[in-house]
Amino acid sequence: MALIEIAGLEVVFAARGEAVRAVRGIDLSVEPRESFGLVGESGSGKSTVLRALCGLAPVSAGRALIDGRAPPALGRIGSRDRAFARRVQMVFQDPYGSLHPRHTVDRVLSEPLLVHGLGGRRERDRRVEAALQDVGLDASFRFRYPHQLSGGQRQRVAVARALMLEPSVLLLDEPTSALDASVQAEVLNLLSRLREERGLTFLMVSHDFAVIDHMCDRLAVMQQGRIVEVLDREALARGAVREDYTRALLAASQAHAPVQ
Amino acid sequence: MKPLLEVEDLKVAFDTPGGRVEAVRGVSFTLGRERLGIVGESGSGKTMTGRAILRLVQPPGRVTAKRLAFDGRDLLSLPERGMRALRGRRLAMVMQDPKYSLNPVMTVGRQLTEGLRRRDRLSAGAARRRAVAMLEAVQIRDPERVMGAYPHELSGGMGQRVMIAMMLIPEPDLLIADEPTSALDVTVEAEVLRILDGLVRERGLGLIFISHDLPLVARFCDRVLVMYAGRVVESLAASELEQARHPYTRGLLRCLPAVGGPRGPLPTLRRDPGWAE
Ligand SMILES: Nc1ncnc2c1ncn2[C@@H]1O[C@H](COP(=O)(O)OP(=O)(O)OP(=O)(O)O)[C@@H](O)[C@H]1O
Ligand SMILES: Nc1ncnc2c1ncn2[C@@H]1O[C@H](COP(=O)(O)OP(=O)(O)OP(=O)(O)O)[C@@H](O)[C@H]1O
Ligand SMILES: [Mg+2]
Ligand SMILES: [Mg+2]
Repeated sequence: MALIEIAGLEVVFAARGEAVRAVRGIDLSVEPRESFGLVGESGSGKSTVLRALCGLAPVSAGRALIDGRAPPALGRIGSRDRAFARRVQMVFQDPYGSLHPRHTVDRVLSEPLLVHGLGGRRERDRRVEAALQDVGLDASFRFRYPHQLSGGQRQRVAVARALMLEPSVLLLDEPTSALDASVQAEVLNLLSRLREERGLTFLMVSHDFAVIDHMCDRLAVMQQGRIVEVLDREALARGAVREDYTRALLAASQAHAPVQ
Repeated sequence: MKPLLEVEDLKVAFDTPGGRVEAVRGVSFTLGRERLGIVGESGSGKTMTGRAILRLVQPPGRVTAKRLAFDGRDLLSLPERGMRALRGRRLAMVMQDPKYSLNPVMTVGRQLTEGLRRRDRLSAGAARRRAVAMLEAVQIRDPERVMGAYPHELSGGMGQRVMIAMMLIPEPDLLIADEPTSALDVTVEAEVLRILDGLVRERGLGLIFISHDLPLVARFCDRVLVMYAGRVVESLAASELEQARHPYTRGLLRCLPAVGGPRGPLPTLRRDPGWAE
């Protein structure tokens, strides 16, 4: 059975009496250890799909399951939530909004360990330091607050936090959008290495076709709340795409290819 | 011709309990009515350079410069009131965190029309039409809904475009755009760049385009400054990026993945401590 299973998913937000149909019936399954990419227009519902898988968006119809189960209901702290958090972590698109403004980096990274009763003080310290190092931040960042970090440093803290509990499923929403090429390469290499070592499963959103192609086995293209095309890496390499929109994305990413 | 902006030996430092952080360490450049790209490593001081020019660095951050002048006027000695007046009209910055720079409890429509109503004394209807037109220009699909939405109801890329629209409405002379297209797919990005390009050509806008996307900057900008650890380590014409000399700049291009490229680990940079001297 697929690890991530989305079937007939619809997400409708109610905004001042108006219904915003963010996701309009999508089907998608991701196998264990697979890395699956989502690309598409801005506003097409990519983040909403990831949020639905975490129980952070209202599912109006259909289902969004991980391990055959729906995410725990929002706002309840129970043992199921803890089990879910250990298995599934998300890196949010907005690193600023997802880091508590009055918690230091140290607290952001050690809290998950504390909540789950993992390791003593020494062990937590060691893991926090290692996690920072993994994302290219030295120890001087450990006691900073989010507003004392640059955009890309914040994004790296968000990635590090998601990895603290060693989850087996990672939902990654534009995880390197604020990083320059050199740091992006380091973070992508880290994610790939962990996937290999721990058999992780990724569902990853990026507007950068080259990043998706590098990281993912298959990808889906979204437009206005729907999936318009699913491709594997090989089809992409051959340029075997059906939709004009996908072709435009592909052409643009090739035109953008670095000048060597 | 007199430059629009003159920056000489700009420094930004923070004294924190953990020690002094020198975010910007002596940056100098001038800007005409052109597209100047600033690229550089995460944490190299790009955002702080932009904020310092607009005098938006919060305490305990301290900004010093030998010269910081806009249109011949010294910005460092300008009283805060004068600075605020400039920021509302002639200087603008698209923030890197658009959704958190917008007012969370005010609708997009009100934020977009406020200045038009107060500063330009437009009627409610006229201000609204201007705002909707600007949202359409940045490719927002349903501008009427977005006018009534709060920032948290927008997607990442929509928030970015709302912020761009808001900064373009007062028709500034100098725009600092901090990673303005980092959440946009290439088709929308191309449209936003087309608008900015038009403003530089037709209205003589001076644009500082901060981005980590080197190939994009190479195509879009006239000149590029490369920052590393708080300094400008290289300054060159965008068309000469291929002939970059600094090892950081040269190394960057090799780190990029490409569609159909090899699957193994991406090349990374070997940073030399000497680069930060
Ligand atoms: N809380 C909410 N209330 C109302 N509408 C919402 C809410 N959250 C998202 N939306 C709407 O749902 C649609 C999809 O948003 P989503 O964030 O999933 O897009 P996205 O594909 O991630 O776009 P981007 O690439 O720009 O981040 C958008 O039109 C957005 O305005
Ligand atoms: N309030 C603060 N206190 C201490 N250090 C700070 C503060 N704000 C920023 N810094 C530091 O200043 C340096 C420059 O930050 P800046 O935001 O200008 O980087 P940037 O080049 O924009 O990076 P990015 O591409 O990641 O956004 C960073 O190392 C950052 O950690
Ligand atoms: Mg999104
Ligand atoms: Mg920045």
